[in-house]
Amino acid sequence: MDARRAEIRALEAEIAALRRACEEPRAPGEDTSRARKSLQEIHQSDSGEWAASKDLRGHLGHLESELLFLSTLTGINIINYSMKTEDLTSTENTEKSIKKVLQRHRLSGNCHMITFQLEFQILEVQNKESLSSVITDLNIIMEPTEYSELSEFVSRAEDRRDLLMFFRSLHFFVEWCEYRKCTFEHFKEKYSEAVRLPEGAASSCMVVQSPRQPGFELVIIWRIQIDEEGKVLPKLDLLTKVPQQGRCLVHSHDHHRPVRC
Amino acid sequence: MEWANDKSKGGVLAHLERLETQMSRSCKNLEDPPRETAESDLGTKIHKLRCLRDKLRAEVKQRQARIKASTANAEPDQTLEISEQEAVGGKEENMKAILQAYRFTGLSGKRTSRGVCVCISTAFEGNLLDSYFVDLVIQKPLRIHHHSVPVFIPLEEISAKYLQTNIQHFLFCLCEYLNAYAGRKYQADQLQRDFAAFLAGPLQRNSLCNLLSFTYKVEPQGRSFPFCARLLYKDLTTTLPTDVTITYQGTDASSTSWEEQRASHENLFFTKPLYQVFTSFARNGERLDMSLVS
Repeated sequence: MDARRAEIRALEAEIAALRRACEEPRAPGEDTSRARKSLQEIHQSDSGEWAASKDLRGHLGHLESELLFLSTLTGINIINYSMKTEDLTSTENTEKSIKKVLQRHRLSGNCHMITFQLEFQILEVQNKESLSSVITDLNIIMEPTEYSELSEFVSRAEDRRDLLMFFRSLHFFVEWCEYRKCTFEHFKEKYSEAVRLPEGAASSCMVVQSPRQPGFELVIIWRIQIDEEGKVLPKLDLLTKVPQQGRCLVHSHDHHRPVRC
Repeated sequence: MEWANDKSKGGVLAHLERLETQMSRSCKNLEDPPRETAESDLGTKIHKLRCLRDKLRAEVKQRQARIKASTANAEPDQTLEISEQEAVGGKEENMKAILQAYRFTGLSGKRTSRGVCVCISTAFEGNLLDSYFVDLVIQKPLRIHHHSVPVFIPLEEISAKYLQTNIQHFLFCLCEYLNAYAGRKYQADQLQRDFAAFLAGPLQRNSLCNLLSFTYKVEPQGRSFPFCARLLYKDLTTTLPTDVTITYQGTDASSTSWEEQRASHENLFFTKPLYQVFTSFARNGERLDMSLVS
């Protein structure tokens, strides 16, 4: 009987883990209700189990749900992590009760469709009064590389060694990309004759034209920018394309109006 | 939810069920999750779970194959493969390490008997600073059991706005405020510690570190402290001031060069963190010295 129960628990843990690996990019906004749901799950499923056994399989299930909660909450899915430490304390340091340790961290994972690999170093200096922890080096590799807005952001994060900002901005950037993609796809589906996505749904532009007046086009450019402080801001531009003959019509009706969002 | 029978079995099953409804979008084709069964149906249950697991394994392999095929130039997707092996192998060590690593994203946490305790980490320009925790109780309504957020951070305001409707937003917002506070505090502490020679007396500040007042000079050798600065950070989510007032209180007030200096200082304080401003004063002072010597 016990062997069967153990097997059931093992299978359930494995299934949960496989489902995590199966996860496809989610629609934005779902993350927030997911965070709340997984929060409730964590609590409800184990309020009885919590104080009970230290059974390994049960424990794995706990860890699984904690990881799921954190990856849903932060939008960042960490898949691998390792750290090595090196003691840099010199004899002179020891005399003054100063301890120096260099940590080398390796972290990899993904944020929806973007995968990242990070290597960074943290120098910890402990003296009599305090402990300081400073990131002394940060290297980021990201794929895919088509999002041109990201490469500038990544170099900035590396220069500033701002790891926290990197993750936070990455999460919001990817969320905005998903919004944009969903929105463009929605319009393409609903008004397939009038809407064109010349660079695909994941790009920054959508073209609207009336099938009856093919010369006139409205081009919506939706860029997602990350500013100096790491804030992610959408920037919308509307361009109009009007054939020569149409110009006088437009001017006479005084419809012309640039749109800035 | 209450499970009158074997609590541990009921708990894990219910957990499994909920994971499944949550992921129903990506796993539409799978069979219904195993319902709670009586003891005698363990055999059937095991069989069902095995089928489910095999289906999922196949799906994961398919996904990997699809991803590999579609990214022809990229390196083989080792991270996904490792994920399957390790997750399936159930390496507890790796999972624990990953849970620790989440602190680098700014938010980490662990479960408690009441719900979850979220830990917010702060940093400023590569310096890892204090962490704060918020202990959440999972109830309707969601509430904060206790926390280590300083009293001058508007926690009640932020939780009133977001806690019930959007936990993620609540935590990100709190994270922003705490990181900004930690950054301002770090700048003030660093100025006090490393550039005390440039200040006449201690830096005056409030607990939120968003109002700073000090008197300073730009040449380490000078005996007077001609400039008076007042920095106000109205936006509590930033580490740079919104209002800068520099006044010159030296004796030769008519000289235009003082006015120029005063204006350039104002600009510096608006755009650079405190230590950078004073580092540039120190560097300019060195250059001045060199020109006097040669």
